[in-house]
Amino acid sequence: MTTWDGVQRGYIPGETLRIPDTLKLHTGASDVDPVTFEVIRYSLMNTNLEHGQTIQRLAVSPVTMITRDFQPSILTESGDLVFLGPYLQYFSNAQALTIKWILENRGEDPGIEPGDMFVSNDPYVGTPHQPDTIVAAPVFVGDRLFCWVANVLHHADVGGTVMGSFCVDATDIFSDPPAFPPFKLVSRGEVRQDLEQMFLRQSRVPTNVHMDMRAAISANRMAVGRIVALADRYGADAVKAVMNRVLDAGERTVAERLSKIPDGRWSHRLYAEAAHTGDTGVYTYQVTVRKEGEHLFVDNAGTDPQTGSINVTYAGFSGAFLAALTASLTAELAGAYGGVYRRVHFEPVPGTLSCADFPAAVSPSGIYTMETLISLSSAAIGKMLACAEPEVAALAIGPAHPVFYGFIAGGAHPTGEPFVATNADNMIGSLAASPAGDGVDFGGHFWIPEGTASNVEELELLWPMLLLYRRALAGGAAGAGRFRGGRGFVEAGIPWTVPGLAAALYVDESFPKAVGPFGGNPGGAGHFRLKHGADVVARLARGEVPQDFDAIAGAEAEVEAKGPMLMMGADAVWEWTGANAPGFGDPLARDPDQVAADVAAGALPAGAAERVYGVVPGAGATRTQRAERLAARLAGAVPPAAAPATVPADVPLRVLAGELAVVEREGHPEAFATVTGRAVLAPAGGNFKDGCAVLERPLRTVDPEFAAREGRAGSLMRYREYLCPVTGLRVDSDIVIGGAGA
Amino acid sequence: MYYVGVDIGGTFTDCVLVDQQGNHRTAKVLSTRDDPVAGVVAGLSRLAETAGVDLPTLLQRTERLGHGTTIGTNAVLERRGARVGLVATAGHGDALAMMRGAGRVAGRSIEGVFSVHGSRLPAPLIVPGAVVEVQERIDASGEVVVELDTGAAVERIDRMIAECRLDSIAIALLWSFANPAHEKALAAAITGVFVSPSSEVSPRLGEYERTVATVLNSYVGPASSRYLRELETRLATPLLVMQSNGGVLPASSATPLGTIDSGPAGGLIGVATLAGAYGHDHVAATDMGGTSFDVGLVVGGKPVLAEENVIDQYTYRLPRLDVRSVAAGGGSIAWVDEATGGLRVGPASAGSDPGPACYGRGGLEPTVTDADVVLGLVRAHTFLDGRMPLDRDAAVAAVGRLAGRLRLTVEETAAGILRINNLHAATVIRQQTLERGVDPRDFVLYAYGGAGPVHAFGYAAESGVREVVIPLGNGASTLSAYGIASGDVVLYHELERSLLAPFDGAALATAVAEVRDAALAELAATGVTGEPRVEIDALMRYREQLMHRLEIPVSPPADGAALLAAFDGEYQRRYGEGGTALFEAVEVFALRARVSVPAGIPIARPAPAAPAEPEQSDVYWPGRGWTRTDVYRGAPGGTVTGPALVELPHTTVAVPHGASLAAGPLGELRLEEF
Repeated sequence: MTTWDGVQRGYIPGETLRIPDTLKLHTGASDVDPVTFEVIRYSLMNTNLEHGQTIQRLAVSPVTMITRDFQPSILTESGDLVFLGPYLQYFSNAQALTIKWILENRGEDPGIEPGDMFVSNDPYVGTPHQPDTIVAAPVFVGDRLFCWVANVLHHADVGGTVMGSFCVDATDIFSDPPAFPPFKLVSRGEVRQDLEQMFLRQSRVPTNVHMDMRAAISANRMAVGRIVALADRYGADAVKAVMNRVLDAGERTVAERLSKIPDGRWSHRLYAEAAHTGDTGVYTYQVTVRKEGEHLFVDNAGTDPQTGSINVTYAGFSGAFLAALTASLTAELAGAYGGVYRRVHFEPVPGTLSCADFPAAVSPSGIYTMETLISLSSAAIGKMLACAEPEVAALAIGPAHPVFYGFIAGGAHPTGEPFVATNADNMIGSLAASPAGDGVDFGGHFWIPEGTASNVEELELLWPMLLLYRRALAGGAAGAGRFRGGRGFVEAGIPWTVPGLAAALYVDESFPKAVGPFGGNPGGAGHFRLKHGADVVARLARGEVPQDFDAIAGAEAEVEAKGPMLMMGADAVWEWTGANAPGFGDPLARDPDQVAADVAAGALPAGAAERVYGVVPGAGATRTQRAERLAARLAGAVPPAAAPATVPADVPLRVLAGELAVVEREGHPEAFATVTGRAVLAPAGGNFKDGCAVLERPLRTVDPEFAAREGRAGSLMRYREYLCPVTGLRVDSDIVIGGAGA
Repeated sequence: MYYVGVDIGGTFTDCVLVDQQGNHRTAKVLSTRDDPVAGVVAGLSRLAETAGVDLPTLLQRTERLGHGTTIGTNAVLERRGARVGLVATAGHGDALAMMRGAGRVAGRSIEGVFSVHGSRLPAPLIVPGAVVEVQERIDASGEVVVELDTGAAVERIDRMIAECRLDSIAIALLWSFANPAHEKALAAAITGVFVSPSSEVSPRLGEYERTVATVLNSYVGPASSRYLRELETRLATPLLVMQSNGGVLPASSATPLGTIDSGPAGGLIGVATLAGAYGHDHVAATDMGGTSFDVGLVVGGKPVLAEENVIDQYTYRLPRLDVRSVAAGGGSIAWVDEATGGLRVGPASAGSDPGPACYGRGGLEPTVTDADVVLGLVRAHTFLDGRMPLDRDAAVAAVGRLAGRLRLTVEETAAGILRINNLHAATVIRQQTLERGVDPRDFVLYAYGGAGPVHAFGYAAESGVREVVIPLGNGASTLSAYGIASGDVVLYHELERSLLAPFDGAALATAVAEVRDAALAELAATGVTGEPRVEIDALMRYREQLMHRLEIPVSPPADGAALLAAFDGEYQRRYGEGGTALFEAVEVFALRARVSVPAGIPIARPAPAAPAEPEQSDVYWPGRGWTRTDVYRGAPGGTVTGPALVELPHTTVAVPHGASLAAGPLGELRLEEF
């Protein structure tokens, strides 16, 4: 029978860990007064922050030192998280899982001793994908294992078929970079040269990885020393008592929030296109959150079976959900999230894209599946929060980008030295709109708070390329809504001082994946474009820096989602984009003054005001224009089975989000209704969509921004709007897979 | 001949006069926000009174008139700066708006970084839409890729100036620090407005931070220059303006950007000056006021620099004194964290309005100062020399409410508040020192600011420091003005230049000479005379370690092998053997020259105070409980043995059990054995 053992299937620790008796754990705890408690808590938190700053200073990969794709942690003796830093949040439980696995499987042989550090990049044990390598250091007080300090760093390249180790062409893990189950790299303080060399040997850029690995070791050592000093000064029992209380406090905080949410189930679905290079299929991920009492139960039922390279293991699935949950529900705990996790119970369906069994490939998940799952989780959590009491409902933050738009190029410097250029400029990011208002332009990503994009000059210093432009994406249909999503960026470049480069990893989506909550438009699709035989160099020589990709002469390549490595000669030019984040609520409900303000600020092209928002100049003209559009929507829609009843004007509505409300009788929800039209949609226990008029059409016809080339996945996708049958305003919307010829 | 320093703060303008014997006089007047010139004149007039002369006589006798201004800082924080337009390289005009995607969190507290809710980008610094992208391009090696058509560019810039009614232009082109030709050409051709080229303001790698620096310079430049000109005219005396790097420059040469956040620099420079005289090489300068605790270091006699600053979430690079701030002051509010049951202090502060509960101005929440009053470390009737009696009952009631919830006594709670506040302060000290590989135990801690000397024994012990000095024997709030009066003329010149180890001696020597000569030329242009001192640091790292730097001193003739050895030694000292990773080449990525002309301010040798009879008061000493304690009003003669309090006009020095406090030969108070 396959078990969750971290070998055949993603590791899930049991209720109690099977730790050998020879390993003595420190489990004591003493009473700590409120003052000493704070002194120790603050010191631990600062130790973890310094741990992060040390990594940042000593590392050499931009993806670590600038992007902040790393995470330091402090964990209890049994691997429960006490403090997480403000870096990549989906590493929320990667270290916990890996440490628990080490406790169960390495305690006897080779043993866990003071001064040791274990390294692992095995996704079936605990990491989201192989480049994310964990270094875990046990902290001993006397002969007892007191706690753990650990970090995860994304290394620039750890092998596999594709430069940069996002192996989109992998169909199983044997084409992925090697996955090393935990091994003891540092033994009683000494780095094992043989094992270090073994690890570095897999990399295309071993020097880089060597520097970063030593940064990780060094930073761990610093943190271990601080904690030992703390235990010396205040007593190990006191320090442990503080750790336990921090965990308990996190649990109490989330329980209190959950008590303000009604019991129920909320699901969301997202898609990926292309499971591997050469594929054009569309695949489904689903997350369902069930809230019962003060506990959450999370499953991935409805997710497609594992295939190609678009999988993650349990570590990825749970890490993504926890990152989305803590960012919205308990952000004020500032990384002290371990207690929150106690109230989240995963019920994963194995053998799926989001909880794959060995030997599924997972290495591209760092830019694809992990972000898809964070976006999916945040959307499901957002739906749940819409039903909560107002103070908790206000914590909804809108869905994350469903993909981390990135670009990895490789080649050789003019000196002949090879390089892998991981461009994480999408750290510029953009935040989705939320019930609270517009998203934040260039607002980064909530799941990597300290993430920073490189300067153009840093990229050009490190790698032989010249960036023609890096500018804001225009606003428009992508991300439109009653509240609009934040705007992202677009950048273009050419090889410089070298005969060419190879594009190893790029993202070109044929359709946007994430819809906006409660009728908001989807965010943008990420695009990668490439022209060969371009006239850029000639135009530079003539005194012009080309700024319009369409106006650059040359043959445009037909780029595919997860396509193969693309060779780019000296006459090639590329352009790639991040994305505008999803909107919230119906764009036709946006305040026309805000539309005008966006146009005035250069955030929205003038033409989009009318096309997307129905805002036209002239007194009353916008109202007329919008009324016509809403009527046209209803005329084209399938009405609900029964003519809608309306809620009498004297019955109060409780707004959930956007146009969706509930009618309450004596404090209990009775039915779903729409806010403006006051149409009754469904009884409170039913599906509000049953009472909506449904308008469905090909997604690519919704707006020119959503155009998709014939034959690509996007040409088959359909956009389904759930409309108030009275007003035609959107209550919600979905992207669904259409049949042939859709 | 006098040295005079004038420091405009948010509430008070402080003036200090130092005469030829080093004796100093001070004057304090309310700042006049709407007419800062009038405030300075009022302060100087008051100062003249204390010296028994009229203002013209005072000015006539003044050899150096130093001035610290908050015009620039306030203009940014209140968005009252110039109407600025930006000139950028084609394709890169949005770099400022995009803020590298980090603008939402830059400079925020750790809790603010985690919390996405309500987080926003800061308000723009330029007039929205006022960006001209010019057709030009330089590459990473400094080669021109696309020539600039200056005439065509200026035509568009002029149009923008007219359409957007601009009074200031910031030019920030890609790679201009490697090749400033295009920026220079544009700067020369734009007329009628204030112009800042990035290659002069902040010639460092990284277009975002360089653009911010340049835009800030243009944003505060017009008002700041106008103000300094007006003040100079009014006083008919040349001014030396305090810069955030801790040096002063003639008003005509001071960069507006350098005045931003120059406030905390004055205090640290005052400390550095005094430390030289007191014979201290390694000093942690700590200023605890009402809302914040500021720490700067002097290491090996030199104030420590930072590379970056963040103001209102905008990050820029400029060598500046590394004064770090944490929200731990007398006004910091104590509260109970419901989730953990722990006692927390700050970051919220009661400030001065309503202020601590004991101020009796309506504040109900317990603060650090209330805890001081509860414990008797600060006596209600002698606070600020009796000028502002405090309400002890209000303090006891406020702390008492907290004590009830914590199930502690009022005294235990008050002592706990101090312990946590001290921990916050000590953590910054420890981070600052350990990060640089120096041990806090080798430092002497200087304590000043209203809440400094009373808490110094606590946060010094917590950080491992063994000796505390109350500079000038008064811990006065005018130390910053003193630093402004005593500051050397200082100028930094930076040159980005990549040299890989093993270093080519000739190339290294050329670069060192180039940065030295440029700095000396810049100094000559300011008109400052006197023998300049030149110090050059190589900024070094392992290649590609973009977020890291070590400053390694290098002196002509530069020795490449010695430089490399010094780098290795420093790297190991800071990060241990495990961190030393000779897998990548060592790189000098920039050189920084510091030229200075010493101010040479005289240091007084005051007559020792006459021994005084102490009063007695009950003080609850943390860990000891209520103890009958000697209280001296004013600096005592001889050595005071703890427990004791020494009440000075602006602050109180707490001398715990077993500690001793004595005046040094230059009038400073030295606290030891705590």
